Amino acid sequence: MLASQPDLELIQQIEALSGQRASECYQCGSCTAGCPVGEMMDPPPSRGMRLLQLGRAQELVESTGIWLCASCVVCATRCPRGVDYGRVAEACRAARLRAKYSRVDPDTIAVDETEEIPQQAFVAGFRKFSG
Amino acid sequence: MATAHSLDPLNPRVLEPTPSTVGAVLVIGGGIGGVQAALDLADSGYKVYLVEQSSAIGGVMAMLDKTFPTNDCSMCILSPKLVAAGRHRNIELMTLTDVLGVEGEPGHMTARLRNRARYVDLAECTGCGDCLQKCPVKLPNEFEGGLSQRKAIYRLYAQAVPNAPMIDRDNCLKLTKDKCGACAKNCRVGAIDYSQQDEEIEVRVGSVVVAAGSKIAPTRLRSEYGHGRYPNVVTSLQFERILSASGPYLGHIKRPADGKEPKKVAWLQCVGSRDESIEKGYCSAMCCMYAVKEAVIAKEHTPRIEPTVFYMDMRSYGKDFDRYVERAEERYGVRLVRARVPEVREDPETHDLIMRYATEDGMHAELFDMVVLSCGLVPPQQLVELSRRLEMDLDRFGFAAGNLWDPTGSSRPGFSVAGSFHAPMAIPETVTEASGAAASAGGMLAEARGTMAAELEPAAETDVRGEPPRVGAFICHCGVNIGGVVDVPAVVEYARTQPFVAHAEENLYSCSGDTQQKIKDTIRQHRLNRVMVASCSPRTHEPLFQATLAEAGLNPHLFAMANIRDQCSWVHAAEKGKATEKAKELVRGAIARVVRQAPLPRVKLSVTKSALVVGGGIAGMSAALSIADQGFEVSLVERESELGGNARQIWRSAEGEDIQARLTEMVGRVSSHPRIDVHTGATIEKIDGFVGNYRTKVKAEAERQTSTPDLQIEHGVVVVATGAEYRTPTEYCYGGSERIITQRELEELIAHRSDAAKEAESVVMIQCVGSRESERPWCSRVCCTEAVKNAVALKELDPNLDVFVLYRDIRTYGLREEYYRRARELGVVFIRYASAASPGASDPDSTPEVKIEDGKPVVTVRDKVIDREIRFRPGLLVLSSGIVPRPDASELAKMLKVPLNADGFFLEAHMKLRPVDFATEGVFMAGLAQFPKFIDESVAQARAAAGRAATVLSREFLESEVTVAHVDPQRCAACRMCETLCAYHAIEVRVVDENSGQEAAVVNEALCKGCGACAANCRCSAIDVRGVTNEGIFREIAALLT
Repeated sequence: MLASQPDLELIQQIEALSGQRASECYQCGSCTAGCPVGEMMDPPPSRGMRLLQLGRAQELVESTGIWLCASCVVCATRCPRGVDYGRVAEACRAARLRAKYSRVDPDTIAVDETEEIPQQAFVAGFRKFSG
Repeated sequence: MATAHSLDPLNPRVLEPTPSTVGAVLVIGGGIGGVQAALDLADSGYKVYLVEQSSAIGGVMAMLDKTFPTNDCSMCILSPKLVAAGRHRNIELMTLTDVLGVEGEPGHMTARLRNRARYVDLAECTGCGDCLQKCPVKLPNEFEGGLSQRKAIYRLYAQAVPNAPMIDRDNCLKLTKDKCGACAKNCRVGAIDYSQQDEEIEVRVGSVVVAAGSKIAPTRLRSEYGHGRYPNVVTSLQFERILSASGPYLGHIKRPADGKEPKKVAWLQCVGSRDESIEKGYCSAMCCMYAVKEAVIAKEHTPRIEPTVFYMDMRSYGKDFDRYVERAEERYGVRLVRARVPEVREDPETHDLIMRYATEDGMHAELFDMVVLSCGLVPPQQLVELSRRLEMDLDRFGFAAGNLWDPTGSSRPGFSVAGSFHAPMAIPETVTEASGAAASAGGMLAEARGTMAAELEPAAETDVRGEPPRVGAFICHCGVNIGGVVDVPAVVEYARTQPFVAHAEENLYSCSGDTQQKIKDTIRQHRLNRVMVASCSPRTHEPLFQATLAEAGLNPHLFAMANIRDQCSWVHAAEKGKATEKAKELVRGAIARVVRQAPLPRVKLSVTKSALVVGGGIAGMSAALSIADQGFEVSLVERESELGGNARQIWRSAEGEDIQARLTEMVGRVSSHPRIDVHTGATIEKIDGFVGNYRTKVKAEAERQTSTPDLQIEHGVVVVATGAEYRTPTEYCYGGSERIITQRELEELIAHRSDAAKEAESVVMIQCVGSRESERPWCSRVCCTEAVKNAVALKELDPNLDVFVLYRDIRTYGLREEYYRRARELGVVFIRYASAASPGASDPDSTPEVKIEDGKPVVTVRDKVIDREIRFRPGLLVLSSGIVPRPDASELAKMLKVPLNADGFFLEAHMKLRPVDFATEGVFMAGLAQFPKFIDESVAQARAAAGRAATVLSREFLESEVTVAHVDPQRCAACRMCETLCAYHAIEVRVVDENSGQEAAVVNEALCKGCGACAANCRCSAIDVRGVTNEGIFREIAALLT
């Protein structure tokens, strides 16, 4: 057991959604080096896989890196283990979205702003950014 | 993974002698594997048909520049074997020949061969090369990796055996369009024959050895590396040719695009290997080492080169390999970067190369002048087809993977395999398997031994005593090695001026097969009675030249060499004028020496046709079985009361086999074999004698208590198979908790108390415990595979068990990569750590720390990828402890007068080409005593030792070395200084006259190595060494000082 509790269910969800097994990656770095946005991605693909392997699934799912993935498939083409990080990133994004957390907290909107913002924007915003 | 075998490997069929058992073997493949197998078979009394599909033997090894870990010149160590194979009385060399099929049963098979037309008459061709001058056709030279051109008529390479060229029928103008014909017009002996036809022939053989090799991965499998598009991206084989002094750039390292000397050169590892996406998931077992070697050699040649090797795991698992890599980093500044480079881009103007790579500390982009792709081995389509014609099964990658207990066996009875045709491997393993395959292939025909082989007839020697000396001086160019520095024609002219020189000439390569013929002809033509060759070190080719003299009817000791390469052109390359003067002086000295040399008579030694095997583990038992199956008696001595050795504590192999069941079968076979005498609970007390004539005193432990006399065994050879020990760790709090165990103890747990294993809930394994560190700098080779094996077993017991492996490099080399893949598939997590205990470690230390809290282990390690500390509280901490040499190995080494290496393992005669021989004749080694290895590697090595032993035991007599010391008893003062000095215990002071009681030193000619220490020291000048006399040396010195 790792000292900090791995989020087993989250890992299982990501592995099921992506069809990739976290333990397959042996951190060769081909994916990161080939990724067109690799320098800006945090964590980059190989480190993302490592987080998953060491049970830091929540950290990966909450990261910004997974959102930069363009699904260009270069990582999957280059990977000597046949791992597709694009699918893993997609799975993390899906897990994040399905986690049903709200990004918009109505209490943070000032009362006078509520009068200016059109009705339609409220509805669209709550629909898009929460639940 | 292993193919099904219809032949039980523990009971290989020893055939009933029938009149139709054919005493001949077909060896397919003329690389180092095929050549070694052919030589061993031919030396043990069998006729060999050595079939090679190209125009010359040598294979891939002929393309290499230098070999690891000794940095020997590949051609220098290979060519004596090639020439020996080319001229061996029992080997029929068939080049440009394909195997169409083999029909029949083991013992009597018919092989159908197609001999393709060479269009050159081998009997007439002198190898002069005149025909090559005039050919107008230019084509890419495949041997040189396309970096230079060849003609339509061409020799495969300069030192080719046979040395005759061939005509490329698809591109020759005469053969395709009936035009030109220039080569035939230019040939002065009429050796070109355009009318030659392909021929189909049949030969009768008893068994077959397939050593057909493999090919490097086609780079189109990973076209993103740009090979073929970017001229400065080359394969490792192309780089070997670039390094080679006989290669396209004459040994100068240049970039193909512009001929400039590169500064930054990158090696990219695992191209075409360890790559699931292209279905080549296995490891090619040799590329880590060859890349580091190429980097070291490149740096040695051109100090401004900055080599970088990009790798995933550094698989330097062999003997002295880790030392080699550490020295490469520290002494040669080879930069090792742990990152896989996914693609190469080119700057189209400069042809420089840009690469991006990701390490644990971030992304990098770097510019390089040249990139070398370390390509792995991929069985080519033509070999897959050959296997089909031979009705042999291949594994899914195309290798003829053997099985654990019969590594050189194949799916077809009577067919043995060796080398990279069997599985990816490097040269030492190939040579070992080749000798082992020879033992199996020859052994099954034991009753027909000698029936088709020619007798060794000592050539009639001309008696030259009383003749004035007539010296033939042969000055070698060695390609450009000598000729590029020393003015060889000037040295030839100078030699002609020396007294007693009747003939002097220059040769391009004095060691080549055709030059041997020339030397023989010249001896007869000019009635020479002395020969002086000025070339390389006697250590490379002296025996070759001496054999040539013998064939020409001259006593082989009427010969001397001047080393104008290693001691002249190689060290004075910057001062050509002075190097030439020095070469002349060396030649003058050697001529003065050879003139004084006298013929030395041969001495015949008898051979006791039995073997002593020391050690009754898997290696010892395999060797005993193989020797016995070949028809010789064996005494097997084992210290413990039971046979089995270390294997008694191994339960399951990585392949999933039940080891104990097989072990019991093997012990049963050994114990009941009519030709094997087993002595358990016995130790060696004393070994006397020499090759062919050993006398050993064995002390039985139990017998020590009684007055039973010790056992005396007479035998012809010794096989050392004393094994090694599994080290009890002192690190990581071993012994402080019952939850901290070794891999061996874990294996026992899994085999017999699996519930206890399951209860653990989580298991942490630590690799390299007590290995790869300053006190024990070697890799124990098997522990990565063992850990992965046990990790898989744990996961199969309970998939919910958490298993973590803390490693430095994962060394599941060759086809064992499959087990690593399986472990990861089952969810085993691998965490890398770096150790400062290893000299030359490239990244900061992160050795795991272990504490004990409440009787349980707590393991802390820093993960380098996410740069965070991880703490484990595992139910079991498993230490992968290493293998260490036995502390009593030095006792046996002293008794046998054989050396140990710096680490305490037995030292072989040559790490690449004589992996089971000791330098002392008649003594061989096998198993862990040589170095840690797997069961199949031990079996292969044991069979190889048995095969080599057969080359001694199958003889009626041996010829002993005659350059030995002798004592003039009249001058000897019996001071005993020589006795003290002799490293071989070959001289002792004895009573030489019973009547007067006079004492004098007496030399044991069979033990004496002719080192001369006694002669140099003797104050009475009573000792001289035959063949290397005091007078000869003084005359050489006088000549040098004139």
